[in-house]
Amino acid sequence: MTGVTVGVIANPVAATDIRRVTANAASMPVADRANAILRVMAALGACGVPRVLMMPENGGIGRHLARSLERERKLGRTGLPARHVTATPVTGTVDDTFAATRAMVAAGVSGIVVLGGDGTHRAVAACCGEAWIAGISTGTNNAFPEHREPTVTGLAVGLAVTGRVPAATALQPNKMLQVTIGGGQGGRRSDIALVDVSLTTEAYVGARALWRSGHLREIFVTFADPEAIGLSAVAGLLRPVGRREPHGLRVWLQPPAEADTVLRAPIAPGLIEPVGVRRYETLAPGHTASLRPESGMISLDGERELYVRPGDRAEITLLPNAFRTLDVGAVMRYAARHRLLTR
Amino acid sequence: MSNDNFPLSRDELLRAYRTMKTIREFEERVHVEFATGDLPGFVHLYAGEEAAATGIMMHLGPNDHIASTHRGHGHCIAKGVDVKGMFAELYGRATGTCRGKGGSMHIADLDMGMMGANGILGAGAPLVCGAALASKYKKDGGVAVSFVGDGASNAGNFLESLNLAAVWDLPAIFVVENNAYAQSTSRDYAVAVDSYVDRAAGFGLPGVTVDGTDFFAVHEAAGEMIARARKGGGPSLLECSMIRFYGHFEGDAQTYRAAGEVEELRANRDCLTRFAQQVAQAGVLEQADLDSVDREVAALIDEGVAEAQQAPHPSEDQVLTDVYVSY
Repeated sequence: MTGVTVGVIANPVAATDIRRVTANAASMPVADRANAILRVMAALGACGVPRVLMMPENGGIGRHLARSLERERKLGRTGLPARHVTATPVTGTVDDTFAATRAMVAAGVSGIVVLGGDGTHRAVAACCGEAWIAGISTGTNNAFPEHREPTVTGLAVGLAVTGRVPAATALQPNKMLQVTIGGGQGGRRSDIALVDVSLTTEAYVGARALWRSGHLREIFVTFADPEAIGLSAVAGLLRPVGRREPHGLRVWLQPPAEADTVLRAPIAPGLIEPVGVRRYETLAPGHTASLRPESGMISLDGERELYVRPGDRAEITLLPNAFRTLDVGAVMRYAARHRLLTR
Repeated sequence: MSNDNFPLSRDELLRAYRTMKTIREFEERVHVEFATGDLPGFVHLYAGEEAAATGIMMHLGPNDHIASTHRGHGHCIAKGVDVKGMFAELYGRATGTCRGKGGSMHIADLDMGMMGANGILGAGAPLVCGAALASKYKKDGGVAVSFVGDGASNAGNFLESLNLAAVWDLPAIFVVENNAYAQSTSRDYAVAVDSYVDRAAGFGLPGVTVDGTDFFAVHEAAGEMIARARKGGGPSLLECSMIRFYGHFEGDAQTYRAAGEVEELRANRDCLTRFAQQVAQAGVLEQADLDSVDREVAALIDEGVAEAQQAPHPSEDQVLTDVYVSY
């Protein structure tokens, strides 16, 4: 493949978890996800991007998109980028995202449009290396990806990937939390989080999504946003910390009945729960917090992921400059100032 | 070994494993016995899908009803239907659950709230609306659960039932067991609205997708839905993304499947293996606990087949009894 290619990773099962019944959370229809990609493609085409490289999946987004592209062709609407698909397996698991991201990086893709929630973005960030992410929220809690019309994100991606906006303006570094567990009966394992790591006494993965606040004991966040939903909001209601600030925040929790400070925090859409706070402090970049959690789980970006076994010690490190994302607002302001979208 | 922060007790975990293992061994044995030609009729095996039936049925009691599909053995066992009676039924014997006249595709046990397997695709869904309406009318706290496959999810009776349940706000749960094939037709080809959550939303119902090979994921999601319905919160839809180890029916050549597909599924997506890994990771059961259940189940299956093979067939004068209802 020659010329500029934009990667597209769209998670077909984002926003279909248990919070539809526990918290009246919304879901975005597969057809609308496909339409969002069409709008991104229209914007990329307007910027002269000749092709997109997509992740294959079995949830229907690709099939809807194929039908829609055929319809566009019949209607004589030209100018859309050619659609290619990575030659990666489809398992219906997060492995598909890992494999597709690596394939895109290997193909020389510099920017990847991601449609999903925090979990999808976390999977891409784990493998994207120097490639940057342009996120579009289609998940449930979505503290990490911004809510924005995909057409605008597509224009910003197109302008950035074709070099019309300097990288220093277009791209922003992001923090990340690295978690390593070991020393106990469960062996050594590690993972990452883009927004939050939490320790919970709830000792099973179950339906994955974290939606009961009473089991939470400790939270680490890369940024603390009082406008967000989820654990970033819990921290943000104590002390807001921006995405671009160098530090994070660590919050110790306790059952509301025992706490002096009890927040009423939106831990999921439509679910405002009491959260008892013991104390909090800033988390310095590069600093590693070493702790011996009681048995339970460590959750990553709001999903129960890692069991804590007797004897386990957990190390949580705030990594600065871990990966880059597209600053859509900065790109569009630059485009306005330099008349990049003026004929 | 115990863990106070685990949501299921040791007894509940053992019951869940026993149920899943019983379904698996029942189906593996039916696969063998059917090949001998001794079992009349058709059989459709549930092997590989055990976590879904078990994770859902753990939340149901005798006051709750289910309506099954043509692939109903797993639903029966998980709902508490007697395994020996089921073997006898499949052999067409007078000691069977339906006195040998229902067979695999019409097996039912109303005493256990099991309204029947069903040879008509999607036909269980309107039956469940009826059972749920009865519970709502009687205020008995009962919930009714309908099972359909991804193929039947396109049927009009299923879609009409979603509408009816929503309009009447029934204590009904619609479970779509999406094993990716409608007989031999891939879901990718035959289903226009790929997400069952989307389909539920079209009728104003909440929908949830879970990995149907993960007992704990099914158990938690189904528990929330059933508790919600029991409290008057209305119907919802649960999509279990799952797999089947055997063909659509016994004898299916499965030419529509990729080479090595079944072997890969058995190696990497076996719900029983996953359950064993999960309870070990959480430190809530030992392998010895599971081994003990395995021995218990193996003995039950052997006894069930042996007793069924020795049981009498229905007598000639019973040919028309239990078959037609007189009003």
